[in-house]
Amino acid sequence: MSDFDPGRRRFLGHLGLAGLGALGASSFLSACASSASGPTTSGGSGAVTIQSNLSSPQAKAAMEKLIENFNAQGKGRASLNTIASETFRTQLPTYLTSANPPDLYTWYAGSVANDYASKNLLLDVSDVWKSLGDYPQSLRTLSTDASGKQVFVPMNNYWWGFFYRKSNFAKWGVQEPKTWTEFLAVCETLKSKGVPPIGIGLGDTPWVASAWFDYLNIRINGAPFHRELLAGKQRFDDPKVKAVFTRWREALPYFDPKGKAYPFQEATTALLAGKTGMFLIGTFFADAAPKDALGDLDFFRFPIIDPAVPLAEEAPTDGFFASAKTANPTGTRALLSYLSGVEAQEAYVKASSGIVLPANPKAKASDSPLVVKGKAMLDEAKELTQFFNRDSSDALQPTADTALTKFIDKPDQIDAILREWQAGAEKVFKG
Amino acid sequence: MTATISTTSVTPTRRRRRSARLSPLLVAFVLVPFAVESIWVFWPALQGFWFSLTRWDGMSSPAFVGTDNYVELAGDATFRGALVNTVIWLVLFGGLSVLGGFGMALVLQKERRGVGFYRAALFTPVVFSLVVTALVWRVFYQPDGIADTLLRAVGLESLIRPWLADPQTALYAVILPALWRQIGYVMVLFLAGLKAIDPALHEAARMDGANSWQRLRHVTIPQLKGVNAVVLSVIVIDSLRSFDIVWSLTKGGPYHSSELLSTYMYSTAFQSLRLGYASAIAVVIFVLALAVILGYLVRAFREEA
Repeated sequence: MSDFDPGRRRFLGHLGLAGLGALGASSFLSACASSASGPTTSGGSGAVTIQSNLSSPQAKAAMEKLIENFNAQGKGRASLNTIASETFRTQLPTYLTSANPPDLYTWYAGSVANDYASKNLLLDVSDVWKSLGDYPQSLRTLSTDASGKQVFVPMNNYWWGFFYRKSNFAKWGVQEPKTWTEFLAVCETLKSKGVPPIGIGLGDTPWVASAWFDYLNIRINGAPFHRELLAGKQRFDDPKVKAVFTRWREALPYFDPKGKAYPFQEATTALLAGKTGMFLIGTFFADAAPKDALGDLDFFRFPIIDPAVPLAEEAPTDGFFASAKTANPTGTRALLSYLSGVEAQEAYVKASSGIVLPANPKAKASDSPLVVKGKAMLDEAKELTQFFNRDSSDALQPTADTALTKFIDKPDQIDAILREWQAGAEKVFKG
Repeated sequence: MTATISTTSVTPTRRRRRSARLSPLLVAFVLVPFAVESIWVFWPALQGFWFSLTRWDGMSSPAFVGTDNYVELAGDATFRGALVNTVIWLVLFGGLSVLGGFGMALVLQKERRGVGFYRAALFTPVVFSLVVTALVWRVFYQPDGIADTLLRAVGLESLIRPWLADPQTALYAVILPALWRQIGYVMVLFLAGLKAIDPALHEAARMDGANSWQRLRHVTIPQLKGVNAVVLSVIVIDSLRSFDIVWSLTKGGPYHSSELLSTYMYSTAFQSLRLGYASAIAVVIFVLALAVILGYLVRAFREEA
């Protein structure tokens, strides 16, 4: 039941147990129906095994469909193992270092993938990238490791923003703010109307707070500083980092006090019910939203604080990497080529019904106004960041959770909090 | 413990001649479990000690760092907090579940109509998985949940707080569900012990004019010595390994305020991927458990001898 996984796009939601049970049952059933869904050991030319953490029913079905299509093409065989997200996260290092690892994995681009690449655990997929010439340079850079070879194949990405209900904003008579000052003014108006302006969900999902830190940092200090900080090349007790919290403090009085106690799924419910005004969250939250509410949802980008800082947005990228020890590199690369193709990406977007943008520039995203707006926002950005844990590591994330939840509770102790954060981060970087 | 008992009972003097030529079946009965245990229990435990002297991320090979991890532990504020919380947990969770369990056992020991229902009701929480328990209690604690509604109903709105998200209350809010479960378990252990007491002892005491308090103090409690050892071991071990309920309710948060040694060990190992340091925490937990239980057993055996 742990929802520690900032980057996961899909989640089991609150009925996780029921979901898990159903998942187990359905995978059992499908294993009976077709041998392709069961776990198989990869032989020299046997099926390519994919470990997938996309365990929500929609995403799982979408992946199953893709694998079915691939197998029907006759270019190779693949089998899918869907693993509960948290198990997947904790087991991934074990998978990769085992003697006979699964071939292909769903995971995140960026520092997380590069970290495994630096330990020589990932398969060189530069060959696959030769046919991805029309992919944007930003995605290519993101998928390239320190030694200059590609180790990752992106599937899709999504964005973060302040989501709100159009009908509620109209009712309260407020407009989308563009700047920080306008943003605070909107907060003030909502507060005067008795609505907690800013929703958040930190109970059980404290990593949601990292979005605030990421955004304030890339708005104030810029994306390059942010990346250096997360890579351990800058210090968390730097005055530039403190400036982030000084800004944040201006918005703290407008946070929903109940947000500390419930997870982001319930914060979503609160937003949809009009109990909070807006909510900084990734598009994955909409998975839990009822269909009729979806049409009423809109979002605005995180307000601009310093216009001189090049515009950056959070756009976590999901995709695949393969084990360096795969017994079937040819088959694995063939499957990756298929997955990065227009057909597969469009099929995935369609089947998953989530708000995601396909990585392949030729693949069509959904044409809902929300997705069009999100795509335009990312296209306009000079720089893309991933998310706190993806730009650093899962190991650094808990230090952020501790520091940020403590700050929200006790903003006066910011100096001590930043000192502790730096000390905690040093331990993680040291190993 | 069982191993020592069985070997001593197998070699009384009159069977000495046979013991020179052990039956292969007997050897198999001892050696096979020992071999299995060695692979699955002793070897990993020993490895844990070794890992606590290394720096290891679970991927590269472990690097020997001597006692660095223990030195770091000594200066780690989070570890100290977790240690203090574990002691609070041991005292509150252990103490209250013994008191509650013993009290309930006394109340429910007499066979009368409907007593089975009450016993079953108290024991029911033990049957639930702790993760399910946590889900139920989370609903209880959530903002505007049952706890808040109850407080409002009796006019104590001022006490309402985010129970699991407030560092002042988080630890206690987690102890409560753990107790809710443990009391039923301890009650069953004591009930079994109470049943084993010879009624003649009570009869005799009553003849001698002992009142019910004196009978409790001088008959029941001394007779329960054997059960006490079991209960103590169970309580200490359960306290030190309490993890699931804390992890599913607070994950040791907010900011380590409900962190126990067990949750800190887990997050260090599997979130921060510092397996060497986490092993050092595991060793501390092991030593604590051993110290408490050995201390009691040594005393208990000395009294018997």
